[in-house]
Amino acid sequence: MRKLVMLLLAFSLLLAACGEKPEMKKKAEKTPATETKTAAQVGSNDKFILESYGTLRTLDPACGYDSVSHMRIMNIYEPLIFFDGSATDKFIPVLATEVPSLENGGISDGGKTYTFKIRKGVKFHKGGELTAEDVAYSIKRHMVVDQEGGPMWMMLEALVGVPSTRKDGKIREGVFEKIDKAVEVKGDEVVMHLPKPFPPFLAVLAYSYGGIIMDKEWCVENGCWDGTVENAAKYNNPAFGSEPLHKIENGTAPYYMLKWEPSVEFIFERFDDYWGPKPAIKTGIVRYNQEWSSRKLALQNGDADRVLVDPQYLAEVENMPGVTIHPVPQLSVTGAIFCQKINPEANPNIGSGKLDGKGIPVDFFSDIHVRKAFLHAFDRKTYAKDVWNDQVVMPTSPNAKGLPYYKQVPVYEFDLEKAAEEMKQAFGGQIWEKGFKMVITHNTGNDQREAAAHMLAENIMSLNPKFNIEVRNMDWKDYVVAYRKYQFPMFIIGWGADFPDPDNFMFTFMSSDGVYGKFSAYKNEEVDRLCKEGRFEVDPAKRKDIYERLQDIWYEDAVGCMVYQKVDHFTYRDNVKGFVPHPMLDHEWESLKLLSK
Amino acid sequence: MTAYIIRRLLFLIFVLFGVSVLIFGLLMTFSPERRAAVYVTTPQQAKDIPKLVKQYGLNDPVPIQYARWVKEVASGNLGWSLVAARPVAKAFWSYFPTTLELNLLASPLVIIVGIWLGTLAGVHRDTWIDHGTRIGAIVGWSLPTFLFALVLLMIFYGYYGLFPPGIISSDTSLWVINNPDKFTRYTGMYTIDGILNGHLWVTWDALNHLVLPVLTQVIVVVALLMRVMRSGMLEELSRDYVITAKAKGADAHTINIKHARKNALIPVITVAGQLVALSMEGSIAVEVVFSRQGMGWWLAHSATQLDMPVLMSVCMFIGVVFVLSNLIIDIMYAYIDPRIQLQ
Repeated sequence: MRKLVMLLLAFSLLLAACGEKPEMKKKAEKTPATETKTAAQVGSNDKFILESYGTLRTLDPACGYDSVSHMRIMNIYEPLIFFDGSATDKFIPVLATEVPSLENGGISDGGKTYTFKIRKGVKFHKGGELTAEDVAYSIKRHMVVDQEGGPMWMMLEALVGVPSTRKDGKIREGVFEKIDKAVEVKGDEVVMHLPKPFPPFLAVLAYSYGGIIMDKEWCVENGCWDGTVENAAKYNNPAFGSEPLHKIENGTAPYYMLKWEPSVEFIFERFDDYWGPKPAIKTGIVRYNQEWSSRKLALQNGDADRVLVDPQYLAEVENMPGVTIHPVPQLSVTGAIFCQKINPEANPNIGSGKLDGKGIPVDFFSDIHVRKAFLHAFDRKTYAKDVWNDQVVMPTSPNAKGLPYYKQVPVYEFDLEKAAEEMKQAFGGQIWEKGFKMVITHNTGNDQREAAAHMLAENIMSLNPKFNIEVRNMDWKDYVVAYRKYQFPMFIIGWGADFPDPDNFMFTFMSSDGVYGKFSAYKNEEVDRLCKEGRFEVDPAKRKDIYERLQDIWYEDAVGCMVYQKVDHFTYRDNVKGFVPHPMLDHEWESLKLLSK
Repeated sequence: MTAYIIRRLLFLIFVLFGVSVLIFGLLMTFSPERRAAVYVTTPQQAKDIPKLVKQYGLNDPVPIQYARWVKEVASGNLGWSLVAARPVAKAFWSYFPTTLELNLLASPLVIIVGIWLGTLAGVHRDTWIDHGTRIGAIVGWSLPTFLFALVLLMIFYGYYGLFPPGIISSDTSLWVINNPDKFTRYTGMYTIDGILNGHLWVTWDALNHLVLPVLTQVIVVVALLMRVMRSGMLEELSRDYVITAKAKGADAHTINIKHARKNALIPVITVAGQLVALSMEGSIAVEVVFSRQGMGWWLAHSATQLDMPVLMSVCMFIGVVFVLSNLIIDIMYAYIDPRIQLQ
């Protein structure tokens, strides 16, 4: 034992001695003879460290459909156009030399043809030069891949007129021919043909969900689609992880991937042959750190330039010295959606399933008086103050603040007497007389949704002792399955923008074909017609009328209870400059090329 | 002895089969939609759940799904980990060294300190040394690991700026990436790779990040070993041979260390072996709080996200570790105590 202790002691002393070595190392490697990039050379002014906990799923631009993938992809690759500053409806050219418009002739044929002039002298990270052929190939390849659960429905909808390359598990006949014809090269220009006008098209192209440009030759060399229609089916719908560009990249952006160690760190390095201005930050590191205390201490000690702060921890950094917080309202709304035709099969959320005081009938929320009663029972002011410390936008309809044609529609003000009046009228007075019992479920871990559920439950129960509402939680993965089986009388759920257009929200929440409209069993023919018209209408004045009317109907029909519009807080050390907020880009976002220290 | 070892190794096949059937059966209790939802991260993607069920055959009969999994494993494909965003086998070799590195430092310390404190407490029964170590052991054992880890993090890193969390500093990490010709990741453990590459400052940096995790692990786990050792010592010190030794005039050191402690070590070996085997799963709390992505972190995330290929593979790995560690313990028994014969 004594020998062992001595051995350990000797080892400790050896290591202690090694601790003095870094200085020697630095001295040795500072000599011009060695070309080694040392740790010491990565000065703090050109290095940016972000600590976050989002897991990167893929680097393949055709498959990434989450904000973490989007952030990595958009710092490595570039689209043809991008949002101008914080605007959602104005764009700047990136790999195109100008943004197509009616004025410059880039948009023609009544909004069905878009022509992009391609920038020259742009180099890919691996050395290739950008051509119009690369642009056409990239757009087509994204649609050919069309992974299940991926984002390509937007591009397919716009350019081919169908949301998927498959139907009932089989490839749609002629779909690849249509994809091929939709995008063509004319000299240094790329022309895109739409079957119908699609006003949000430019916004879709400005995001990573379809607008990323890649090097055709490099893609084919690395196992991607070879560009022929005949072979397209072989490259369609790859399994998760087997997409060829999952972990490799070759973009044109000012940064290339130096290292990706999943769930540990992702390192960007400045690309010296970038066509645009040289960014100030040389090395960008995204470190995975799930533990809040540890992230907070890293920010406090200056070991991280920015950390991801969830709303519940905001108060802990608000007064932290040397820290700047940028609140950014997101195009992301959460609502409590009433299901008007609940599935009674083995459903624990509706009690007896009858109007007998021990449950609710499957059409409980089909009575507008019930819906209005719940809306009157939601205290928006208190909710905003207590849950969000007033750092939140309270939406009045699914059309989030910041979207075109946003309108502040009336809300059912918090009034328990009015709520009681509505309940007395519901189901001919039977609900008031017999009472009811139901469950409101929120997804586990979402404190804001939990608070909304409890507020609704407690206020409704205060109306009548015969009213009984239980609040439960469920894991997110189970939650998304259950609401799609019509199992919840009310589901509290959010929606983040795929593209900044009211169609993406109003259709989703209100149309009987929209995800939430469908699973809330809400059906209004006028709504369905307006949603369809709004999607393809190119005249802004007519679109305004359509979407304003839809927002009014949201109020009139008391379709659901809007709970909050997310506000993300980008929290930096105050020596970091250059952050540009954008409502489409959530807290996982960072544009390294804009930052400086 | 050889026949015994071969028999135990053959037994491993049945254990692995049992474990795989059990875990697979448990996972099959989740609906196909629930398992397909693993691929879904946003409400937008939820519309594709039925298609995903079909694509991945999640609605097929359970035996067919099991046979498909066995076939894939037999061909060397353990599946794709959604949590790790890469194949399970690759992810394993990335996470396992992190856990192993922690345990290579923590386990010897746990054993040495546990035996030392247990001996001390046993020899000084009912003195302040005994009471002090027992109270310490109870506190260490009953204190939630994550809380203890957080307190250490707050004091050392938060207040003094010492021992940062993570596996290695960003500067060192960048240096390693930019110098592939000078630094080879032989083992995936920076402490050892630093030595093997002759860059001891890398080892030092890695150790700097290991101080708090090791300290947490040692303090939390040592309690159990200490108590077993103490009980063993008390039992041995009350035996006849100790009285005989005392009557023969043997000194206290010889009696306590050479006679009693040697015999008291037998139950300690069992516990220590089990603890070392258990630690290979990784400590979830330690790895999460100190931001060390190891086996514990991976397993916990995979369990909450129902990452089936990971759960299956890691449970099988744990099965192998436990069978082998039991086998090693049995063999060690035979060497330590000649009265035990393996049959």
